[in-house]
Amino acid sequence: MRAPALALCLLSATLVMAMDRTTADTLAARATAAYAKGDHAGALALFDSVYQDWRSAGLAYAIGNCHFKLGHVPQAIVYYERALLLEPGAEDVKANLELARQRTMDRVNELPTFRLGGTWERWLGGHDLDQWARRSLWGWCLACALAAVGLLLRATLRTTVLALAGGCALFAAVSVGLAARRLRAVEHPGAAIVVQPRVDVRSEPRDGATTLFMLHAGTKVALGAANAGWVEVTLANGHVGWMPAAALETI
Amino acid sequence: MMRSTLILLITALVLPLGLAAQEIGFEARVDRNTFEVGSSIRLTVTLTNAKAGFAEPDLGGLTVVQGPFESSSFNYINGRMSSSVSRTYVLTATRPGTYTIGPATAQVGGGTLRTQPITVKVEKGSGTTSDRLLNEGQQRDRDLFVTISLSKDKVHVGEQVVATYTLFSRYPNLELSKYDLPALNGFWAEEIDQGETTWEDRTTTVNGLQYRVAVLKKQLLFPQRSGKLRIEPLRITCIVNRSFFNRGSQVEALSNATEVQVLPLPPNAPPGAEGTVGTYTFTGSLDRDRLRADEAMELTLTVAGTGNLKLIEEPALDLPPDVERYDPKVNDRITVSGGGMSGSRSFQYLLIPRHAGELVLGPFTLSFYDPEADGYRTVQAGPFTVQVEPGTGGGQAQLMRPSKADVEVLDTDIRFLRTGDLGLRPAGHHLLGSWAWWSGMAAPVLAFALFALVRHRREKSLADPLGRRRREADKVARKRFKEAHAALQNNAREPFYTAMNKALHGYLADRFALGAAEVNETALARALGDRPDAAALARQAVALIAACDMARYAPLETKPRQAMYEEAIALVQQLERP
Repeated sequence: MRAPALALCLLSATLVMAMDRTTADTLAARATAAYAKGDHAGALALFDSVYQDWRSAGLAYAIGNCHFKLGHVPQAIVYYERALLLEPGAEDVKANLELARQRTMDRVNELPTFRLGGTWERWLGGHDLDQWARRSLWGWCLACALAAVGLLLRATLRTTVLALAGGCALFAAVSVGLAARRLRAVEHPGAAIVVQPRVDVRSEPRDGATTLFMLHAGTKVALGAANAGWVEVTLANGHVGWMPAAALETI
Repeated sequence: MMRSTLILLITALVLPLGLAAQEIGFEARVDRNTFEVGSSIRLTVTLTNAKAGFAEPDLGGLTVVQGPFESSSFNYINGRMSSSVSRTYVLTATRPGTYTIGPATAQVGGGTLRTQPITVKVEKGSGTTSDRLLNEGQQRDRDLFVTISLSKDKVHVGEQVVATYTLFSRYPNLELSKYDLPALNGFWAEEIDQGETTWEDRTTTVNGLQYRVAVLKKQLLFPQRSGKLRIEPLRITCIVNRSFFNRGSQVEALSNATEVQVLPLPPNAPPGAEGTVGTYTFTGSLDRDRLRADEAMELTLTVAGTGNLKLIEEPALDLPPDVERYDPKVNDRITVSGGGMSGSRSFQYLLIPRHAGELVLGPFTLSFYDPEADGYRTVQAGPFTVQVEPGTGGGQAQLMRPSKADVEVLDTDIRFLRTGDLGLRPAGHHLLGSWAWWSGMAAPVLAFALFALVRHRREKSLADPLGRRRREADKVARKRFKEAHAALQNNAREPFYTAMNKALHGYLADRFALGAAEVNETALARALGDRPDAAALARQAVALIAACDMARYAPLETKPRQAMYEEAIALVQQLERP
């Protein structure tokens, strides 16, 4: 009587336990093969199971592609945006996101803002999430090493080397700041995609309030305050209104 | 008839002049090889330049309607005489099929002449008029009526129907003055050329009354839309019984109206099949399989079969973009007969490949609705492979080659997945703020602090040489005492005292920062400061050095060596003690 219960416990424990790296890579490879053969639904199921425990820009991009091929344009946009958060400025993701956006209904004229070029943006974002954290570690190590070398040197050289060490320390500090900024952007994106075919955006967080404008699936909105199942959204052109949270999927 | 009698008269007059007979010929001929059930053909058997009776050929199932009529002729031209005898049969068939007329034979001189057998094809009649139409027509006008009969009354859009307009008349003398063809709304019509309108050789009996019959017109109709399409009655005006004495009277006749039920084509038409109805074959040919770039080749695509060939449009050629293509030349070999429209239409394309390499053209497809199979069919021709060799270069062709063209974007699609490692990382995991990051940040700081501390201490000691000397005094003394101890063990007198002297002298100088010559009792006592035993220690140390010197240079040992050694050690220990 005890043995089956124990086995069940073990089984459930393994189910709860996160998928290991090898399994995840195997599943992803199988999903890629299925996608290449045109079985987009099968590929999506496999990629989704990997996405439970693992993250990467490549994975989010693959899921976006599956959704796009299956005709789920809003979901595709959600995953492309996620991939862009994980790897800002990725060319392939941007190209596919552009195509997916062409299939949405709403055209929102973005307010003119200062935008950086792609290369710069990519550098600033770092290749992956931990890039700036790693850079901060390297910068800090270098600063300490240079300071130590400076102690050994004669007075004239010592100032130069210590100034360099100070520069490295400053770089490390800036890197920490940028890493924190990236982390915040990934963990609190503050934006969402409309997933319902048509949503009324109202002036107040309740049904029956004045409808300000209408949004269609695939449109990106910035999230604001939340109130009893409603969220305040801001469009890229500056319009603000309330809509049900269920109509949105956070990036 | 008049003319042939005249010729006969003349030849009869000339014949006695007796010229040699010409070459003998014997042949059989029909006026057409294909005819419909109900109509008739003429078979003529002619024997030239011989006089003999000939036997009737085996007609192979065809029946003789009229004849045989016999005629003969004589010609005398430029002193050459020729004669011919011919016999004509008017034949008809009651069932469609293929009939073979056997050879006719003639006995000339001692031998037998034979004609070639003739094969004729009898098609199902399209113009036979049903009894119902005849009865209705007779009820409209007993003496003169027209019928419109259709080969089918239920067709698909685009499928061909033969409409026959037939005149039935009891007047012995009739002149057609005009007829108004009905407007054919919803049809695309094609005239069937049947020559001059004549009375048929046979008469038709309707309810005991005999009528002469003439087919006024035949048309091929192609319905263009589905539904019930109505053909309005045909109205004709005739003048009857006109003679020299009589102006005749005008009679009007009206035909029946008729209807065709047109079914729409089934849905799910393959692309390009819209409006193409019939039974076709599709073939293609390429005039060469190897050529140089910038040379021309000819691609011929032929559509053959039965159906509305005249409406077949140029097939869509999906050619590689670097093959230059000119508008096709269309060659029609289309016959319009009572059996419908049939034949072939071919499209000749002039193609010029601009780049070398293996070029695959096609396959080219033709899709159509086949009424016989009741479904869409797609037939294909090709593909054709051509080996294109590099052009001769330069020359006019090179100049005419189009300059660089933009890559043509045919369609857009999302980019493919990333291949290779996806770079997966556990969800929720990040370096910043993790213990690894904190320890990575702390480690260099700790290392630096340690380094700085060591460095600081080292610098401090470097800045104070006396202090260092004092600190090192003990170390040096220890080393020398060790030497002395070794000499003591070896029982070496001279080295022992040397080492003892050096050890004590050096130790005292280093320990109290004295010059080599300053080691004396007063200086030592002063250096020892306010210790209570300062004077005693100084005296003891100086005395010990003096004893060592004495023993070293003179053979006078005041104490045993072992005792002296132990005393020196004790002294140093006492000096080190604060």
